[in-house]
Amino acid sequence: MTQIAAAARGFAKWITFACLSTCASSSLCLAAGLTVTVLDRGGHAVPEVVVTAAPTPEVRTAPAASHATATMDQHDLAFVPQVLVVSVGTSVEFPNNDTVSHQVYSFSPAKRFQLALYKGALHPPVTFDKPGLVVLGCNIHDQMVGYIYVTEAPFYGKTDAQGAAHLTNGPGDYVLTLWSPYISDPPATLTQTVHVGAAEGSSLKFQLTRDLHARPEPRPRRADWEY
Amino acid sequence: MRRVCALALLSATFWSSVGLAQDRFNMVGEIDVRWVEASGPTSYLYGGLGLLRFDSEHQDLRLGYLMLAPQFRITDILSAHVVADAYDDHDRNFIDLSEAYLQARPFPTGSIRWSAKAGAFYMPVSLENRGPGWTDVYTITPSALNTWIGEEFRTIGTEFEARWLGANYGYLGDVALVAAVYGWNEPAGSLIADRGFGMTDRPSTLFGGLGMPPMEFYHQVDHNPGYYAGLTWRHHDILEVRALHYDNRANPSAMTSTATAWRTRFSTMGARLEPTAAWSFIVQYIDGNTTWGPNVYFDEQFQMNYRTAFALTSFEWQRERFTVRFDDFQTSQISGFYGPPSDVVGHAWTFGWMHDLGAGWRLAAEWIRATSRFPQRIEYDESSGLIESQVQLAVKYRFHWGV
Repeated sequence: MTQIAAAARGFAKWITFACLSTCASSSLCLAAGLTVTVLDRGGHAVPEVVVTAAPTPEVRTAPAASHATATMDQHDLAFVPQVLVVSVGTSVEFPNNDTVSHQVYSFSPAKRFQLALYKGALHPPVTFDKPGLVVLGCNIHDQMVGYIYVTEAPFYGKTDAQGAAHLTNGPGDYVLTLWSPYISDPPATLTQTVHVGAAEGSSLKFQLTRDLHARPEPRPRRADWEY
Repeated sequence: MRRVCALALLSATFWSSVGLAQDRFNMVGEIDVRWVEASGPTSYLYGGLGLLRFDSEHQDLRLGYLMLAPQFRITDILSAHVVADAYDDHDRNFIDLSEAYLQARPFPTGSIRWSAKAGAFYMPVSLENRGPGWTDVYTITPSALNTWIGEEFRTIGTEFEARWLGANYGYLGDVALVAAVYGWNEPAGSLIADRGFGMTDRPSTLFGGLGMPPMEFYHQVDHNPGYYAGLTWRHHDILEVRALHYDNRANPSAMTSTATAWRTRFSTMGARLEPTAAWSFIVQYIDGNTTWGPNVYFDEQFQMNYRTAFALTSFEWQRERFTVRFDDFQTSQISGFYGPPSDVVGHAWTFGWMHDLGAGWRLAAEWIRATSRFPQRIEYDESSGLIESQVQLAVKYRFHWGV
C-alpha cells in the first residue's frame, strides 16, 4: 500500500514538474478559475500587481461597455489604492479624505483630466473610456502618484499580500498580462498565453527575473511637511 | 479680436477656478516655549562671539518662537503665502515676516510641470527645514549650514522651476531644475565674515536684524541682480539629492548710508536617504567665499573662504524621534587683516529627541556641544578655543485652521 502511495507521490511530482516546465514556454494547460502568484527574484510574494486575462484574439469578442463604479480614495497624502484596475467604461470617484486639499490630474493618453482643488467628494466621477494606463498625480503634492489600469480584459485582479490574484475565468485560451509600477522585467515577458481547462483550482506561479524597482511599502506622510 | 478672445478665455479660466477652489484660506501656527541651560560666552545674538542661540546670561524660560503661516488660494493654481515669526530677543519688531510670496503652479499638460514663485522666500537648500514656516523637523536647532541659510539669505525676487514628472514614463521619481533672479540681498556674507558659522533656530526676518548691534541683510545696495541655479532629483521616495550654485553678484565696493555690499558665492550639495519609513540620513555641504571692500590694494579687500558639512541620522519609532548630527565648519580669512583673523574652526555634536503627545502637542529635547577656535575672542578677554554647550527642553503646540 505504501509502495502505491509513494508511486502516486512520485507521479504527482512528475506532473507538477512537467506543468512548471511547460510554464517556461508561452502556452500551457490550466484548469478553470485561475490563481496567479507573482514572486520576485528572491522568491518573495509581490503584492499590488495587476493581473488581467483576456480571451486570445481568435475567440475575442467586443467587450460590452462597463457601467461599473470604483473608488480611488486619498488618505495621508497618498492615493488609496495606489493601483486600481478597472474595465473600460468604469466611472471612478475620487473622494479626498485627507485633512488637506488635493488637485488631481492625469495627462496620460488614455485619460486626460483635472480636478480643481477640493476636499471631500466635490467632483462627479470620472469615466475611463479608453484602455491603457492612467498615471494620477496631485499638483500640490508631487510625491502623490497613483495608477488606474483600464483594461478590456473581462477577467482581472490584483495580487494580495501573499502575491496571489484570483481570477474567475472559465475554460479556454487566455492572454495573461501582469503590470506593476515596481516591476522592472521587460513588458514582453509579462504576457503569456495560457490554456485553462475544465477542472477547477488551477494555479500559476510567475517568477520575475529582475529586481523590483522598490518594494511596494506604504509611507506615512505628514500633511504639513514639504516633500 | 484674437486678443479679446484670449482675454475672455483667460478670465473664464480664472473665475471658474476661483469658484471651485476649496480650502481658500488656511493657516498653520506654532508656539514653542522652552527651558534652556547654556554654558559658554555671550551669544552673538546678544553682542558676544558665542555660536549658539543662548548663553549663561540668556537661558532658563524662553520663547523658542511663535510662527504663523497663513496661505490664501487666489485661484486653483495661484496662491499667496506668508510666514510671520516672533523670537522675543529684542529684535526691532516683536513679530516680523520671514516669507511673503505668490506661487503659481499650473496643472501639468505634459511631462514638464512649470511653477514660479515671486516675493520673498527661502531658497531650496535645506534638507532639514521641511516643516511649516521653514521649521526643522528632526531636532530643535538646524545644522550650521542651514542655520546660515536662514540667517543671511532670502530670495527677494522670482524663482522658476521645471519639474520632469517621471511616473508617467515608468520612473518613480522626478528631476527638477530651479533658477532664480533676485535683489535686496547684497549684505549676505557680512555675518559669516564677522562670526563664522553659528547654530541657532533663529533665522532673520525681512524687516529685522540679527545680533547687537543688529545686522540687516535685506537691502538693495547696488543694482546687480543675483542668481542661483540648482537641480533636485527625487528617486523612489527613498532618495532626494539637491545641488545649487549661488552668486549674489554684488559689487563689493558698493555701499549706501545703511548697508554695504558683500560679493557672496557658494556651491552646495546634499542628499537625504530614507530607506525605510523609520530611518532618515542626511548629508549636506557648502563651499564658497565672500568679498568686501574696494579692490584698490588686494591685501586690503576683505576676502574669506568658508565651508561646512554635516551628517545627520534620525530614527522615528511610534511617537518618538531620535536624531544625532555632526557638524564640521570652518571660515578662513585670506586678506584684509586689521587684527586677529576672523577665522572660526570648529565642530559640533547635536543629540535630539522629540515626542509627539498628540492633538498638536510635542515635546523636544536637545543637547548641543560645539567646540570652536576663534582668535578674535582674545580681544574680548576670552580664550580663543572654547566648548559651548546648550540643553533645551521645548514644549511645542501646532494648530491648523482653515475655511
